[in-house]
Amino acid sequence: MIDRLLARLPHGSRAFAWTGILIGLLAFWVALPPLKIREPVVPAAIGLIAIALGVWAITQGVKRLGWGAIVIGLLGIGLGVLATRSSVAHLDQVVVWSALTAAMLRYATPLAFAAMGGIFSERSGVVNIGLEGMMLSGAFFGILGADKLGSWPLGLLCAAAAGAGFALIHAFFAIHLRADQIVGGTAINFLALGLTGYLFIDVYGGEGTPPDISDIPDVHLSFLESWYFIGPVLGQLNLMIWLAFLTIVATWLVLFKTPIGLRIRAVGEHPRAADTVGISVYKTRYVAVMLSGILAALGGAYLSIGFVNSFNQNMTVGRGFIALAAVIFGNWRPWGAAAAVFLFGFSSALAQRLPAYSESAAVLFQALPYVLTLIAVAGVIGRSIPPASVGRPYQKQ
Amino acid sequence: MDERPVLELRGITKRFPGIVANDGVDFELRKGEVHALLGENGAGKSTLMNVVYGLYRPDEGDIRINGKAAELGSPKAAIESGVGMVHQHFMLIPVMTVAENIVLATEPVHSGILLDYAAAEKRVQEISTRFGLAVDPRAIVQDITVGQQQRVEILKALYRGADILVLDEPTAVLTPPQAQELFTIIRSLTEQGKSIIFISHKLNEVTEVADRITVLRRGKKVETLPAAGATEQGLARLMVGREVLLRVDKTAAQPTKALLSVEGLTVEDDRGIEQVRDVSFEVKGGEIVGIAGVDGNGQTELIDAIAGLRRSKAGKIVIGDEDVTGDSCKECLDAGLGHIPEDRQRRGLVLDFSLAENLALHDYDHPPASRYGWLYPKRLIEKARMLLQEFDVRGGGPHTRAGGLSGGNQQKVVLAREIDRNPKVLIAAQPTRGLDVGAIEFVHRRLVEERDEGRGVLLVSLELDEILSLSDRILVIFEGRIVGEFPPGVSEEELGVAMTGGGRRAAA
Amino acid sequence: MSEPGAPTPPEGGGKVENPRTGGDYAPSVARRYALAQRAGGIVVPLLTVILAFLIGGVVVFATTGSNPISTYKAIFEGAGLNWFVEIGSYELRLPFTDIHVPFPWNVDDIESTAAFNLQQTLINFVPLVLTGLAVGFAFRCGLFNIGGQGQYLAGAVIAVWVGSELPGLPGLVHILAAVVAGALVGALWAGIAGFLKAKVGTHEVISTIMLNWIAIWVGVFLFGLGGPLQNDTQPFVPVSNDILDESKLGILWGDPVLQALHVGFFVALAALVVYWIALNRTTLGYEVRAVGYSPEAARYGGISVARNYFLAMAISGLFAGLAGAIDIVGWAYRINTNDVMISSQIAFVGIAVALLGRNKAIGIGLSALLFASLVTGTSTRNLDPEIFRPELASNLTLLIQGLVVLFVGADVLILSLLGLRRRRRRAAAEAVSE
Repeated sequence: MIDRLLARLPHGSRAFAWTGILIGLLAFWVALPPLKIREPVVPAAIGLIAIALGVWAITQGVKRLGWGAIVIGLLGIGLGVLATRSSVAHLDQVVVWSALTAAMLRYATPLAFAAMGGIFSERSGVVNIGLEGMMLSGAFFGILGADKLGSWPLGLLCAAAAGAGFALIHAFFAIHLRADQIVGGTAINFLALGLTGYLFIDVYGGEGTPPDISDIPDVHLSFLESWYFIGPVLGQLNLMIWLAFLTIVATWLVLFKTPIGLRIRAVGEHPRAADTVGISVYKTRYVAVMLSGILAALGGAYLSIGFVNSFNQNMTVGRGFIALAAVIFGNWRPWGAAAAVFLFGFSSALAQRLPAYSESAAVLFQALPYVLTLIAVAGVIGRSIPPASVGRPYQKQ
Repeated sequence: MDERPVLELRGITKRFPGIVANDGVDFELRKGEVHALLGENGAGKSTLMNVVYGLYRPDEGDIRINGKAAELGSPKAAIESGVGMVHQHFMLIPVMTVAENIVLATEPVHSGILLDYAAAEKRVQEISTRFGLAVDPRAIVQDITVGQQQRVEILKALYRGADILVLDEPTAVLTPPQAQELFTIIRSLTEQGKSIIFISHKLNEVTEVADRITVLRRGKKVETLPAAGATEQGLARLMVGREVLLRVDKTAAQPTKALLSVEGLTVEDDRGIEQVRDVSFEVKGGEIVGIAGVDGNGQTELIDAIAGLRRSKAGKIVIGDEDVTGDSCKECLDAGLGHIPEDRQRRGLVLDFSLAENLALHDYDHPPASRYGWLYPKRLIEKARMLLQEFDVRGGGPHTRAGGLSGGNQQKVVLAREIDRNPKVLIAAQPTRGLDVGAIEFVHRRLVEERDEGRGVLLVSLELDEILSLSDRILVIFEGRIVGEFPPGVSEEELGVAMTGGGRRAAA
Repeated sequence: MSEPGAPTPPEGGGKVENPRTGGDYAPSVARRYALAQRAGGIVVPLLTVILAFLIGGVVVFATTGSNPISTYKAIFEGAGLNWFVEIGSYELRLPFTDIHVPFPWNVDDIESTAAFNLQQTLINFVPLVLTGLAVGFAFRCGLFNIGGQGQYLAGAVIAVWVGSELPGLPGLVHILAAVVAGALVGALWAGIAGFLKAKVGTHEVISTIMLNWIAIWVGVFLFGLGGPLQNDTQPFVPVSNDILDESKLGILWGDPVLQALHVGFFVALAALVVYWIALNRTTLGYEVRAVGYSPEAARYGGISVARNYFLAMAISGLFAGLAGAIDIVGWAYRINTNDVMISSQIAFVGIAVALLGRNKAIGIGLSALLFASLVTGTSTRNLDPEIFRPELASNLTLLIQGLVVLFVGADVLILSLLGLRRRRRRAAAEAVSE
């Protein structure tokens, strides 16, 4: 077991490139609490080591990771030096690791749900650009359900139903009518935006949702609360966050360890081959797409019921697309996507705390998750391998 | 061999919009026999077998298995009735393992939900030994050889309990020695009581391995006859309905100077693996050089490199007098290269463009088709009209969408475009794949004509017949290297031996 | 695209290999619409629109109980289309001349509600045409440019900046500078996505959406309190400077004190012509269309696919940036942080415009008119709140937009089912020969 784990770790030049990436991160980290090194030389030097490792990796043929190390090395130097120039008080205010981590988990959760949903859909061969719309529908119908029906579990149910509904539309057009999946997904986004906005104003008028809607509870782990660092982070997390963890694990299990997962992947790689052994391509894809709708909607429901406890028009502001980017970045694997989702969550968490640093620049930091996503897909897509038949409608004879 | 029919097809008719693919076909398979289904492209062989496998529903007619009527409405139903099919284009999932591919849809589980990989592998080993088809259950399909992949396909069918096996053009991807191995496997399977339908258009194989032969022509059954005593010429006549020229008439070649010269060429594929290794050869004006080889031995990468579509890692390419190593595709074409690509619908033509636009694909950016970026559609149309007439393209005019033509006519358009540019060298990759006999004759004749005009022709084909009948010199490519040069009189066996590495039997 | 009933044509036989090694994430969009484009005609788009409006009407009735007919009538009036109802014999002075021609409608009427509403509609028509052309051009190359919002914004921001600085430049020069700068920045913004697609194969949907949001936040930053482009006179209002008078476009029709139809109208019409010419009469257009229909065949023919991806995105962004710039110099004259989010949403309608218009110049022109009417007719100022609440109505527009986009995807199939039997016969005959 340990051997297998060790065998999966990177070797040779790849290991150097990964070390370069880690050292680049280190360059930034040393300037932050708890170390708070004040001489700019230190992050600069560390960053240079990272860049050197990256260059070396490139000469050994490991191009993508090598460039990654160089980019992160440069970023590390830049940010590290910036951090040394700001006041210690500022740093202490902004970089509270436990609060940051907890916030990262909160921001990552809706992304995680949507990303896992996206993985199912894409693995079965259907591009789901409509994750954003499904998330938004979950956010609205979740809070609507929680409000009108009185409890958050019912709200979650409503959210899931809404997500499934939109997913059904997308699935029908993409699978049965063989329409273009990207255009269809975009249509879903428009429809969800229009429908949720329309109903929102119709039901709640101009005042918005009432303030006392049943919200998803946090999970208190009292035995953890006194632990250093882990206590503040894990001691009081929302239920949905734990469910998100579970969903990631479950996705991995189902997709790679069960027959259903094998069939889903088969349908996504070579639907004709799956058809010839008797697997129903249509049915499998329908199930996968509906699942993605339900999961994305649950992520949206967490946003409205669990996080801010209200609804605003278009409150998902592009998160569905970030989730899709996470799927691509993670190479259509649950753990990879999870890592990406945590990264993006971290950037959002940072952006949230940075106003303490500079008011107007804080607005710019709102763009951080999107910039990061852009860099991520730019650096990755050319070499990653999607499921072979993703985006191609299947034609049954 | 038993006399009882295991499978009976009576009056099977299958229609597609505008065409009757199968017209009242009767077919009968006896237990333990190898029954070949013969016909040229478009005769309806694959359609008929797709009906048997449940992929198509017949419009008329019925099917009986072991005397009982059978409703084969889906592959699942066919599998349950004991029918297994090995398709011409393998239905294997490249990124999954052999075991996963074989047990797909009937996976063994433990604890009710989780896949039992160990059990799957064990089962695969069991049937592998039982039928004598050695495979590695853990191997990833895209990494094993074609012969091994075919074995996996056969095992897939046997695993599901097939007693009737349909093999669709199984030797299309095999060298002659590998085909012989397949025949041995087929015989051993029949000895174990399996009945086999063998679809092919290769006359020599069919006479060798089959017990009986059924010939289809244009959707109708022409005749069923015992293989013993059937001649290739007789079968060809049944297939086509007239006398067929099995060889092209041509005069001896008169080669001039080298128009294409390749030295020390090494090319990697997208995964960084070397597919072409230190290849050197020449194509002179006035000769046809044929490159024979099993698919996947580097032909695609070789052509890509010469055409400028892929950067070579090492080596030199010279077209005419120009060194085009490292040049882009456009530069290579401008240097005098004509390229008839392997897949005319995906690479040869823009199916949604009109014929005039397609014919202009290389010329559109200089006069008279355009000037300083401004396009003159009328001139394109005039030129197209001329070319379409010269090459006898039927099915449409300059405004017709290319996708609306038949395969043969589409290929004529590609030829017209390439030849009109007066290239020094013409590369023809699989130029007659999927074409009917008339179109094949046209293409062959035209290639010889171009050779006689002094061009150099590089023919890359998987059909040994074609290579043998057209080439003035034959090169054999194996694992990325040129392993032999032969004159046109060489026998298929010799070529086959070279194609598998010259006596060294591959692990397939 | 394969027709129902015909098997997939044979690919390369032999060794089973993973057909993808990175790059193209999902198949080309343009090819799928090739069928629709070729079928031409107005019937199917018309049916699509009618169906979308029908469903919208059902939603209206089901949720508010209002009569959908009167709602649509109110939208019709809100768009000023009822101005066309009054036909008489009037005169029209040709622009820049003194020639008067007979004209059935009363163009001297610049004050009636109908006239005012129509002017608004035509004002909205301009950016819709341009963003529709942007999306359409990219589609013709097989790319889906959802980044119109960011590109529009980029154009608008630069136009505001150029238009409000550099006093003393002659009017025409100043206008041209602002507009050209806006268009170029739009091209640049889209070019980023194009470059990524060309070099690395990044899917343009994701990259352009990210660029949208980045543009929005940069815009909010620039014009927000304390931002570098915030205006000089009101430190507590997050708005830009007004552009100088000399940078404003001339008025075509209407009262300059209220919003009036500006010369940009002609720019929009000219853009339609330029679009058609570019695609059908230039070598660039030839390449773009070839790549859009079949990147593989284009590549084998010597065309550089990557270069065309980049150019198509850049030109697409050019149109969108132009839209933003023209809106600024035409009627908006300034941006505030609220506008950054809201006005740029017009670019999303451009997607529906392009799809409904089948990515062709005429279609885009007509569908831009349709959507402009819809957008204007449902806006707060124009829709009679007695009949229907405007906030609801603007979401209704979104719904109809979404339905149109949804149905356009599917009507390709309807087309292939309805007619074009000859092609299917051919394809079936061809495909059966295996």
